[in-house]
Amino acid sequence: MGYVVRKVLVALGTLLFVLTFNFVLFRVMPGDPVALLARSERLTDEDVAALQESYGLNEPMLQQYGIYLRQVLSGDLGVSLRSPQTVGSMIGERVWPTVLLVGLGTLFATMIGLAIGIKGAWRRRSRFDRSTLLGGLVLYSMPEGWLGMLLLLVFAGTLGWFPAGGYETGGLTGVDRVVDIANHLFLPVLTLTLGYVGEYALVMRSSLIEVMDEPFIETAHAKGVPDTWVRRRHAVPNALLPSFTLILLSFGFVLGGSIIVESVYSWPGLGLLTYDAIRQLDYPVLQGVFLVTSAAVIAVNLIADLTYGYLDPRIREA
Amino acid sequence: MRRTATRMTRLLAAVAVLLATASVAHAQSSTPSAGGDLVLRVGVVSDLITDNPWAVSAGSDWAVVTAQYDMLLKFASEDASPAPSLAEGCEPSADYLTWTCTLRDGLMWSDGTPLTSRDIAFTYRFVIDHKIPQYRSYFPSDPTFETPDDRTLIWKAKKPTFAPDVPPWVYVVPEHVWAEHEGADLKTIKGVPNTPSVASGPFTLTEWTRGRSWTMERNPYYWGDRPALDRIEFRLYTNNEAMVQALRNGEIDFADGIKPSLVGPLEGTPDIEVQHVVSDWWLNLAFNFGGQGDQADPLPALQDIRVRRAIAMAIDKQEIADVAYQGTATPGDTVIRPASAFWHLDIPTDQELPYDPDAAAAQLHDAGYVDTDGDGIREDPETGDPLRLRMPASEDTTGAVEAGQLIVGYLRTIGIGVRLEPASDAKMNDFWGSGDFDAYLWYWSGDPDPNYQLSIFTSGQCGGWSDGCWADPAYDALYQQQRTMMDRDERLQVVQEAQRYLYDHLPGVVLVYPGWLQAYRTDRFTGYVPAPGPDGYLLPGYNYDSYVELRPVTTAGGSTPAPVGPPGWVWASLLGILVVFLFAWLRHDRWRISMEA
Repeated sequence: MGYVVRKVLVALGTLLFVLTFNFVLFRVMPGDPVALLARSERLTDEDVAALQESYGLNEPMLQQYGIYLRQVLSGDLGVSLRSPQTVGSMIGERVWPTVLLVGLGTLFATMIGLAIGIKGAWRRRSRFDRSTLLGGLVLYSMPEGWLGMLLLLVFAGTLGWFPAGGYETGGLTGVDRVVDIANHLFLPVLTLTLGYVGEYALVMRSSLIEVMDEPFIETAHAKGVPDTWVRRRHAVPNALLPSFTLILLSFGFVLGGSIIVESVYSWPGLGLLTYDAIRQLDYPVLQGVFLVTSAAVIAVNLIADLTYGYLDPRIREA
Repeated sequence: MRRTATRMTRLLAAVAVLLATASVAHAQSSTPSAGGDLVLRVGVVSDLITDNPWAVSAGSDWAVVTAQYDMLLKFASEDASPAPSLAEGCEPSADYLTWTCTLRDGLMWSDGTPLTSRDIAFTYRFVIDHKIPQYRSYFPSDPTFETPDDRTLIWKAKKPTFAPDVPPWVYVVPEHVWAEHEGADLKTIKGVPNTPSVASGPFTLTEWTRGRSWTMERNPYYWGDRPALDRIEFRLYTNNEAMVQALRNGEIDFADGIKPSLVGPLEGTPDIEVQHVVSDWWLNLAFNFGGQGDQADPLPALQDIRVRRAIAMAIDKQEIADVAYQGTATPGDTVIRPASAFWHLDIPTDQELPYDPDAAAAQLHDAGYVDTDGDGIREDPETGDPLRLRMPASEDTTGAVEAGQLIVGYLRTIGIGVRLEPASDAKMNDFWGSGDFDAYLWYWSGDPDPNYQLSIFTSGQCGGWSDGCWADPAYDALYQQQRTMMDRDERLQVVQEAQRYLYDHLPGVVLVYPGWLQAYRTDRFTGYVPAPGPDGYLLPGYNYDSYVELRPVTTAGGSTPAPVGPPGWVWASLLGILVVFLFAWLRHDRWRISMEA
């Protein structure tokens, strides 16, 4: 129990540190979010000063920080500097598309990657292993933006099978809408899956190869345990540990979005929101998004930490 | 165990077959039900940031607010001159102190409430009282307004003015919606949500999902001709290639803001027409003359007009238009953009400063700027310092950085060194305010009326709008003169003189007028009204005439968008493959276990 409490406290401490660091980082970036609007909105110097005043941007840093902390603790992420919308609702609108895109992409990449990695390691240097190793490396090293554009031009362009971007066509309901979103989702998820399947395959493959060399595997074979059993019950569970951490962390980063894939497919995700907010110096939005992403990663890390002890008794003893 | 496995496989197979059939059925009927509505689908590249008329700043904001709201007088499609809108006309008194505007009869808001002169007076007072930045320059010297009856608005100025005839680019809002926000500060006013909106134009904004799409529906109470369109759907594309693709596929009917590099292949495509919109902005190379603050320490040589002239002569504007803008821009000369056709001064070719790097080098040499240390860069004879320019260039302005790279080469040829610094607009703003640069590349856009654009070069704008704090009393006098002239043709003379003065005295160099590119499907809708002029914007733009005039090409009515999704057989075969794969995998393992046991 003390173990759990300690881990939770550390997680919360990390979150607080991240919050503070983000706050300072954005304030240190060059440029002033209100003055930035001067040219396009015809703001005079007094207008700029008045707006800075009302947004509280002139207060001493410590005071702004205090206000920020108080707001966060009460669940108020603030209002965007550019758009008449609360940060909470801006992020909320984009959470589901992001989870759909990056969540599904990560899910497929991990599932398929693990399967390929396992098979490749078990039949090392077979044709399957060599071809998937090469394929995985090639895909993993390909820039995902380039891969995305290629898929877009072939499948949405030449073949016309899928829409050229966006989340949905609009105006549909029920099953029609689900199918419509699925059609829009297909290419972006395919891009992400292809882009990352190599990573999981390689990690799984190398850790399984290591386990395969362990004496207990040889013993199992010698005992007459069927090959498939040895793989499934003895080798893979032990080899899964490094991949497990990697996979959990990847899921933690889902809420960070994937800005390149979102940009290629005009997908309304949190990645693009972050990029736009950086360009417009929209501090409240940036702080909100980073808070959400950091919290997700820290939470997932905590879960990984706790369940690792359950999965691998050796950790618990230590 | 074997029985469970077989059952599992059978179950999986059944599910897969079901899914396959269902998706085949849906793929074939996935056209969204037209329901008889006539819909225009527009692809855009810039997001709608705000729906609030007091907070408009970015591209799509203006387009949306222009389609929804009326102004007192509108910009005529032919030449952006004032034309009847809410008001049938505005007449000045002999001394130009009082203007009387007569409104149309039967005007209404989209919620059925009558629109009267009091709404206009309220809107104008709101702008003045709350100092709304985008609009307040249209009300010089704080005029007052009277509304003796529902159809009459009286504009009383303290000094003779032509302000009502400009016309004021101010969107008229309903008093009964906005009166409750009187007295609030600017931030609060800008933060008031406005969807769905109450407006007087042909369409109102009814739905808005940020970062994705927004929808405008026809306003049944619109005072003008009934539009044929029922709805306009805007879709944001963060990828220009994808937007062009969508236009080709028929997913959208109109693409707004195409990258120059994508236009070439598009021009030859059947059923697609490209509009090269005449420029309403220009790329500026601004020189810095110092005076913004203690960080402003520009190269003293820039004060010498011979140096500035040499720089201007060394720049190949045509090449910038061809290379940085792939031919979609034209070389620039004067500061009033071509879209303001009435006011723009086109300097005759034989009077233009020629592109002549050799002559430029010779002029620098004769003026005493010689390379004394043999490093290829001339030195200033007064200070002994090399002529090196620190030149930020806006990354957020199309073509600015590419033009900058070309300019580095041009100026090197005549012995001036340039350090190009691409910067985001946030950083450009810092440079603008602090004056910590020698020259920079940024844009200016201006209004249909030349007053604003001319004002930024006056000495009074140092620390305000002025790029480099250039100050010339002769120019200031010209500017003041055109401000007070009531007769349009007389004023034109002075406005053109002012443009000529700027061209000759070089506070900066007007490099190019970049075009804007729009494309549409000719097999869907017809009746686009370009504004201003035949090379104008097909969609707002300056007025909403296109939305009112658009008619479908086929009389079949209702637009049938291309079905979304691959043909049914693709899904069926994909799922079939998946089923076979799963089946084989499970059976394979079972077989292996049974063999090894």
